[in-house]
Amino acid sequence: MAASRLPPAALSLKQFLQRQKVLGVYRNLLRIIHKIPDESDRRYMRDWAREEFKRNKSETNQDVIRMMITQAQNHLEDLRKSLSLAGC
Amino acid sequence: MASRALAHSVRSIARASARLNQGNVLTRSACAPRVSTQRPLSVISSNQRTRWTELVRITEPSFQLCRHYGDLPPLTIESIQDRVMYVLKLYDKINPEKLQTSSHFMKDLGLDSLDQVEIIMAMEDEFGFEIPDAEAEKLMTPAEIVQYLADKKDVYV
Repeated sequence: MAASRLPPAALSLKQFLQRQKVLGVYRNLLRIIHKIPDESDRRYMRDWAREEFKRNKSETNQDVIRMMITQAQNHLEDLRKSLSLAGC
Repeated sequence: MASRALAHSVRSIARASARLNQGNVLTRSACAPRVSTQRPLSVISSNQRTRWTELVRITEPSFQLCRHYGDLPPLTIESIQDRVMYVLKLYDKINPEKLQTSSHFMKDLGLDSLDQVEIIMAMEDEFGFEIPDAEAEKLMTPAEIVQYLADKKDVYV
């Protein structure tokens, strides 16, 4: 009964969960980037992350989105490891 | 002669220390039953050969027992709101003139969810504690952010 009253632009459950995942990855990425010691590096990485996410914002294919989430998480892990190696 | 000078200096020192000790004296006298609010109290102090009493009047407590701890200044809703608006004005994607406490990020200011994540992260930095994802995505206006922060920090003023 509630399903018929949903607006047409509402996301399905899977899409909704995926959106949450994307936002979670973005948040973790921003948190890691915030820890970078050098100011100009930090700004560059933040702009890069923003660019990447904004560029693919209009993607609707679920598989492509999943691939991009995995890619972002790999980047996140790389950053985390380099930061821990660099000692901060 | 010398003893008089000594007595005078001792009296002035004792007066100063009596002022410092007023706290202890007051707590001690507070335990004992009080007849009237103002009553003279005698402080007897002996120093070497000089013995004297000095009357110290206890007035209504005009001082406060004060302990010093280190902490941040207390938050009020005013100050939280000022800080939130300040952080938002510094954000480059927001037009400072159009910003109000009730302006919705997505509907009025035209931001998207990625920008909202950035804004919430800036708030986390400003106030120094983490906001979990589930609650962060619901905060869509500055007024809601202020409300959430006030709830978390137990600010009622």
